[in-house]
Amino acid sequence: MEKQFSLDTIDVIGPDHYARNGYPHPEWTYLRKHKPVFWCEHPNTDPFWAITKHADIVHISRQPRLFLNGPRLLVFINEPGMDLAPTPPFRHLLDMDPPEHGEYRAIVSRKFTPRGVRELESQIDAIAKKVLDDVTGRDRCDFVLDISSKIPLAVIAELLGVPHEDWEQLFQWTNETIGGTDPEFQQGASVQETLDRARLGLFQYFTDMVAQRIKRPTGDITSIVANAKVNGQPLPQLELLSYFFLLVVAGNETTRNATTGGLLALIENPDQWERLRKNPSLIKSAVEEIVRWTTPVIQFARTAAQDTEIRGQKIKAGESVCLFYPSANRDEEVFGEPFKFDIGRNPNPHIAFGIGEHFCLGANLARLELEVIFRQLVERMEYAELAGPVERLRSSFVGGIKHMPIRMKLNPARN
Amino acid sequence: MKVIVDLQLCEGNARCMEAAPEVFEVRDDDKAHLLTDHPPESLREKVKLAVRMCPRQAITLKEE
Repeated sequence: MEKQFSLDTIDVIGPDHYARNGYPHPEWTYLRKHKPVFWCEHPNTDPFWAITKHADIVHISRQPRLFLNGPRLLVFINEPGMDLAPTPPFRHLLDMDPPEHGEYRAIVSRKFTPRGVRELESQIDAIAKKVLDDVTGRDRCDFVLDISSKIPLAVIAELLGVPHEDWEQLFQWTNETIGGTDPEFQQGASVQETLDRARLGLFQYFTDMVAQRIKRPTGDITSIVANAKVNGQPLPQLELLSYFFLLVVAGNETTRNATTGGLLALIENPDQWERLRKNPSLIKSAVEEIVRWTTPVIQFARTAAQDTEIRGQKIKAGESVCLFYPSANRDEEVFGEPFKFDIGRNPNPHIAFGIGEHFCLGANLARLELEVIFRQLVERMEYAELAGPVERLRSSFVGGIKHMPIRMKLNPARN
Repeated sequence: MKVIVDLQLCEGNARCMEAAPEVFEVRDDDKAHLLTDHPPESLREKVKLAVRMCPRQAITLKEE
């Protein structure tokens, strides 16, 4: 049933909307049909074009020299207490454009190819097993705190060579960065203070670690980045520290949310859970469907470098377009029955990892992590059901689930 | 038809090899190598799928 909206009041960017209702799929569906390139004004941010069609996001993403990342990375909603610094406090891959972006990306990209991540499979398997073992025997848990947040954190921390005793601290900085707009993570501070605290904490931490790794390189990613050169020069301090910031934050939160949202989808679609249990060989397509279904990154923006057109709509140089990935992944023109959760969907050309120049660097790692986690869950979790309300993050950037209490029966691992 | 892979963009995600193993092979250098750059007409649909699925959009299909 299509819902009707007025273009004067439709809201696809207010963070409160996301905390209360989750993703605004009825609104996006309306926009895809009636106004796929929609001029959006909001009192707390600069206006932007909301892009909701799969084909248009692909079209924009394929032209990184026409649609730039640098000027405006995402549509950020200003809040009371927010004071957006005149100079950006970061400079990492997501803020860079070609050709610089490619040079910086190449520093670590081979670590993240399918071949590169395959070497990590047994390590990830052991991490996931340990996390599940720790809650085996309990009949309820908070799936986010006890399971889904722990695995990606452990994996990225291992990759970076961060010692175990610091993982909790890393976790807190990630939460504060992504959840800076959510009161739960502010601890009485303002949005700006929360974000600054996390950034400075991470920067200091990696400043120390980089110094160690320059003296004594190991095989970890921190050593690779610490000793990397671009155009024959070591990375400037801001770019160097921002690199770690990006790896830590991006490697954590997204996979956590895909895991949580994936289990929620399986709980809500017991036939699909049963189907996966009976056909474990569907794990790869199940993971793709979980990624399409959850699409943890809500939006990134691009800024037009010169006058152009999208779907006949004139876009002026300097105007920004906001790419709503979850909307593209429900596009009726690309997916049959887009609102059906179908673990056998094939082909599944979702763009939850983006596409083109800025395609998610960690996509293959995320896929592998999800594969390992859900393989083990399907094997060991006899049942799970919600034991309380699903609490969503107050953010229109990352679709987060903060808490998901479940009742469950988790069996010990075979063997 | 002629197939071109932009090796600057290619990062060895290997989706092309899944879509059209007759045409693409990702080797140890993490790059997609063309087994033929003029695939037969019968492979057109598979090559088109590879173009569409490439995460980095590194593959171009040219008509001759």
